[in-house]
Amino acid sequence: MRLWKVVVLVDLAVLIGLGGGYLWWGRQAARLERELAQAQTAQVSVEREWTVRGVVRAVLRESNLIVLSHEEMAGYMPAMTMGFRVAAPQIYDGVQVGDAVRFTVRGVPPNVVLTGLERAPAGGGNR
Amino acid sequence: MSLATLGLLARWAHLGLSVAVLGSAAALLAAGRSTRPTALAWQARVLALARGLAILALVTGALSVAYQAANLTGRPGAALDARTLGQVLLDTQAGHVWLLRTALLVLLLGFLAFRADTRERADWLAARGQALGLAAAALALLTAGGHAAAVKPGSLVAMTIDAAHLVATGLWIGALLPLALLLRAASRPEGADARPQAVLAVRRFSRLALVAVLVLAATGVGNAVIQVGSVAGLVGTTYGQLLLAKLILLIPLLLLAAVNRRRLLPQLPGDAVTVGRPAMQRLAAFMAGEAALAVLVIGLAAALALTPPARHLQPTWPFAFRLDPAVLDTAPYLRLQALLGAQIAVLGGVALLVALVTRAHRLTALAGGALLGALGLALLGSALAVDAYPTTYRRPDVPYQAASIEQGARIYDQHCAVCHGITGTGDGPDGRGLPRRPANLRAAHVGAHTAGDLYWWITHGIPAGGMPGFGERLSEEERWGLVNFVRALGAVDQARKLGPTVEPQRRRLVAPDFTFAVGPMPAQALRDYRGRRIVLLVLYTLPGSHARLAQLARGYQLLSMLGVEVIAVPRDAAPNAIRRLGAETPIIFPVVTDGARDIVAAYSLFGDAPHAEFLVDRQGYLRSRWAEAGDPRRSVNLLLAEIQQLNEEPQAAPADEHVH
Repeated sequence: MRLWKVVVLVDLAVLIGLGGGYLWWGRQAARLERELAQAQTAQVSVEREWTVRGVVRAVLRESNLIVLSHEEMAGYMPAMTMGFRVAAPQIYDGVQVGDAVRFTVRGVPPNVVLTGLERAPAGGGNR
Repeated sequence: MSLATLGLLARWAHLGLSVAVLGSAAALLAAGRSTRPTALAWQARVLALARGLAILALVTGALSVAYQAANLTGRPGAALDARTLGQVLLDTQAGHVWLLRTALLVLLLGFLAFRADTRERADWLAARGQALGLAAAALALLTAGGHAAAVKPGSLVAMTIDAAHLVATGLWIGALLPLALLLRAASRPEGADARPQAVLAVRRFSRLALVAVLVLAATGVGNAVIQVGSVAGLVGTTYGQLLLAKLILLIPLLLLAAVNRRRLLPQLPGDAVTVGRPAMQRLAAFMAGEAALAVLVIGLAAALALTPPARHLQPTWPFAFRLDPAVLDTAPYLRLQALLGAQIAVLGGVALLVALVTRAHRLTALAGGALLGALGLALLGSALAVDAYPTTYRRPDVPYQAASIEQGARIYDQHCAVCHGITGTGDGPDGRGLPRRPANLRAAHVGAHTAGDLYWWITHGIPAGGMPGFGERLSEEERWGLVNFVRALGAVDQARKLGPTVEPQRRRLVAPDFTFAVGPMPAQALRDYRGRRIVLLVLYTLPGSHARLAQLARGYQLLSMLGVEVIAVPRDAAPNAIRRLGAETPIIFPVVTDGARDIVAAYSLFGDAPHAEFLVDRQGYLRSRWAEAGDPRRSVNLLLAEIQQLNEEPQAAPADEHVH
């Protein structure tokens, strides 16, 4: 075989090898990402419960909401200020704006309700 | 010999050998095909040389990676430990790059060892072109395991620039020695058959080398901007000094190349015995000399590759002065001198240009131009020169943050106020007896000094002015706190001139950064809003501010939609601030329960009314200030107009945490 043909074939082989390797690696990465995403959605598609610390920002009985600035809810949402629907009217008892609380949220995201709320021990929770 | 020296030697040898392999392939291609015996003998010799170089490149590459393993793990033994080496090769980017490059070099070696039939033109081109391509790829990939790959963002640009730099080096420097061999062979009486080819090869190479040098200059500047980035980095860090040494070594190399190109190259086709052959011999010797100098340059390049880039180091300014055009703003009497100097220097430049193009009076024009240029630059330089210190270009270790300013303010009251005055105007009681009046820290000139200047004065004092040094009494953090406080103090008068409306033309003041927390939420920083939201910082006092906060709370939805975050800071820094706001109007924007004290201390410098509002734009600049005692008459609509103004503005450069 003529040398230039050998060179062309070798270069083609190298290019196909590199390109194939790159594609394989890319698909591997995409597959891993997909699996990760699946694992995460699998986590949130069943009923779960989070108990985190927060501070009461507003009590809106007429809309059945308590607005809380809260910590991260692992696997669901980062720390933020947002309103939660309240599961039972007695939860409102004694709740005041500015209270440092521990509260429990339960449900299948995004349908979650606030099922429990207690004042955090004095001194703690505000740091 | 220390491990680091061995690593440097391995890197040096590997870089040089990789360059030489590429150059050999380029020289063979530049010389072209020939059937003459001397040329064939030379080709065989260069091929054998290239094989040897490639083998050595593989060996030194292996040594280099072994050193990297030892360096990464911190144990010299790791260089010989198969498991660690395997980990480095398979789990690090540098390892992957090394594997790929080794594969390319092995392929190249196999190719060079393969004695193929190259009598046909296509075959010959394929053989030589393939060798060139593989060698160039192996050399260019070096960049993927170096500093350029670590540049963020824009590593692709940095790597492309660096790869072009490497390949241009290979084409120029690497081809010198093989071509010198060809010239030597052709200059011998029995090598007469190769003479036409040698002349052709050197001419082609000369054109290629000129392009390569231009590419090297351009990519070298690009590399320097990316990895060094400042004059201080160039003269004040190890990396920059190595780069300067490399540039200085390049001067004789380029002079030699210019002599070869302009003087010797035209002589080559001359009469063989009297002109051509002696010129060839001399050119061969000069090219070998160029190659020898280039080995040193490559050594410095290897050292650069193993030194942390200047951009990541704190520069130590080596001179007692620096040139600062801003001097002319504060000292108008220097303007005339600077203008005169600049014009004389331009005159000198023109004279030098004239010397380049005319033959008559060339020497006079040259000497006159040099003299005028030097005089002009000296005049200009002495006008712009201001005192500088080793720490002048040091970047603050502690950023311009409220907590640091607050710390600095406390230290200022304790140590500095006696001379510089409680408000910083330089009228403290103990300052009167000093040789020089203490500096007015509120004056505009404070902004002309770098943070490093202030740090130096605070640390070592100003003996001529009677200012003591505090290097032994205060920790580094405390001294940086003072620097940050003085910076804030220098901005006070400007900040207090800010009105409630955004003025696009006004000089931008950096809003000191701060961290804060709301209840149990994790701490956030003002900086986190950079590029994302406008921040309305509200320093409030109850009960006066109640109406205004309720007004902002009612307008919060609209403000949010327009890209504004409201951060409310209680002046009394009460931990139960949210409760004290009450439940009447739901307030759900961040109300700072942790970190308020530092924010209040820093921002009170800019406005100490019970209720003050600051608008911070997306770039982190303080743009408007509204400080009136609990006046709720200002409607949210007025605020919306200011926000609209900010939203419509083109993006400015983001604020720098550091001075200058």
